[in-house]
Amino acid sequence: MTNHRNTAIGYGFTALGFALASLALSQPALAEVCAIDDRDREVCLPAPASRIAALSPGATELVYAAGAGEKVVAVVAYSDYPPEARDVPSVGSHTRMDLETLVSLRPDLVIGWTTGNPPEQLETIEALGMPVFYIEPREFEDVSGAIERLARLAATREEGERAAEEFRTGMAELAERYADAEPVSVFYQVWDEPLMTINDEHLIGKVLTLCGGVNVFGELSRLVPRIGDEAVLDADPEAILAGGMGEENRDWLTHWQRYTELTAVRRDNLYFVPPSLIQRPTPRLLEGSRLFCEKLDDARGRR
Amino acid sequence: MPGRRSLLPPLAVLALLGLAALLFSVTLGSASLMPGDVWAVIRGEGSPLARTLILELRIPRALAAFATGGLLAVAGALMQVLLRNPLADPYVLGLSGGASVGALAAMLAGLGGVVITGSAFAGAFASTLLVFGLAHGTGSWTPARLLLTGVVVAAGWGAVITLMLAISPAERLPGMLYWLMGDLSYARTPWAALGLLGVVCLALLPLGRSLNVLARGPLQAAALGVNARPLEWTIYLAASGLTAMAVTTAGSIGFVGLVVPHMLRLVLGNDQRLILPACALAGGTLLVLADTLARTMIAPEQLPVGVITALLGVPTFLFLLYRSR
Repeated sequence: MTNHRNTAIGYGFTALGFALASLALSQPALAEVCAIDDRDREVCLPAPASRIAALSPGATELVYAAGAGEKVVAVVAYSDYPPEARDVPSVGSHTRMDLETLVSLRPDLVIGWTTGNPPEQLETIEALGMPVFYIEPREFEDVSGAIERLARLAATREEGERAAEEFRTGMAELAERYADAEPVSVFYQVWDEPLMTINDEHLIGKVLTLCGGVNVFGELSRLVPRIGDEAVLDADPEAILAGGMGEENRDWLTHWQRYTELTAVRRDNLYFVPPSLIQRPTPRLLEGSRLFCEKLDDARGRR
Repeated sequence: MPGRRSLLPPLAVLALLGLAALLFSVTLGSASLMPGDVWAVIRGEGSPLARTLILELRIPRALAAFATGGLLAVAGALMQVLLRNPLADPYVLGLSGGASVGALAAMLAGLGGVVITGSAFAGAFASTLLVFGLAHGTGSWTPARLLLTGVVVAAGWGAVITLMLAISPAERLPGMLYWLMGDLSYARTPWAALGLLGVVCLALLPLGRSLNVLARGPLQAAALGVNARPLEWTIYLAASGLTAMAVTTAGSIGFVGLVVPHMLRLVLGNDQRLILPACALAGGTLLVLADTLARTMIAPEQLPVGVITALLGVPTFLFLLYRSR
């Protein structure tokens, strides 16, 4: 239940509430838990969540990191990490959820993705009486913050705070180590056809900056701009980092090898980073960031 | 009907326009090169970067755009003669739908590059055979029957495309949507498309007079001693082959095949001997210009070329139509 209590009916029940509260005093009180979500709404549950539905692969990872993995009863397609999440019932893709399946799994907390899930469906879920906690991590701190808040709602504070702190200090260490590193100009390739990159606002762009990289397309206004080969040749980055379709797909990098006038090609600074480590705002971003920073250090060593 | 002499000046003008568009396209891009740099590369000098930009990126892409535009415009003109319907375009008989299903299936399976091209061609070929076979049927066929078969098959492909888009993972969607909108960054080498365009235009030259007769209807054609049936199947197969090549080069680019033939008819009259080569030149020119703008308007970001073809073509066509009353 969210705290939208100031309805006419709510006032009507206040008197009854007092009567019930005096009754409840004689029994162990159910502990109400509250947390602020990424839409700045306070989400309160009458008791810690015991059945959680995570409506994006990233949300699933965050809930597991918060120590509440055993309480996850519903996920969406492509929720593949941690491996246990694959065995949890799926309620469809994050863009089109099967609400009947979701309702029949009786979640007492739904983790929604503000810009990824259809807002109409999230509103319907809330109208059906299932509280929705919206997440939308845009900064490194949003990742650790989300883990802590989810841990509060699931009453797994100890484990959640440990995971959040590990991520927070890990990222801070990287920031400190690379604060004065020599800048390396970088092109990060999200996709090959169409050729797409990211700007400085994107979480991956922030990882590049953290490692002392300078994103050659950082100034573009769109979060995930679509560009052409010519723009990359013109920018002449010192290193090219590519995500790729699978975990082992290096084909995207061989595409660049024919342009021998690129500095990145001449120095062999073509790197592959498994996309699952970097493309979701989850604790695994720390591992991805370490890998990013190592690659850029490698590029510095080849000057 | 104009004689052979009066065919040459309009074609010469269109060829010059096409050449100008190609030059324009080669000098413009997200990397700024001076005309002097371009000239140096053409003379075989210039910096390695300028050489790569012009010889490996801009020229192949401009030629691919020219070939694709030409193929689509010629295919559209042929379909309009065949079906005697001004709304016919190269895709009216479901060919782009078949190609799209092929290409999207390859993308959905996580395959890339040449496989997408091959799969699109297979889809286009399958669609052609399907429409051909069904329209042939048991009894006699008419252009109306062929058109209806094609339109319904196209609707079927449309449903399959929507289904594939609905079930594909989010990260694959941009690639699929760009392919459906038509995008020359998928073009690899322009030579096959250019070659086919040249061969078909030459092969159609001797058929020009028969096509003119056929455009007036099969009865007149029969009365004037033209055997309509084999000619109609020849046109159908030629138009299908041209469209299949265009679609596999650059995805399904709309509008060029519908409107370029009409534009030229408004200006040059309806003589197929002139219209078909003129379509090859004007369609190519339009697509080269559109693709240059798509590459440079919000550079380094890229737009799908189909958007620009319509934005350029619609006002031009409406102006010609308005003036011709």
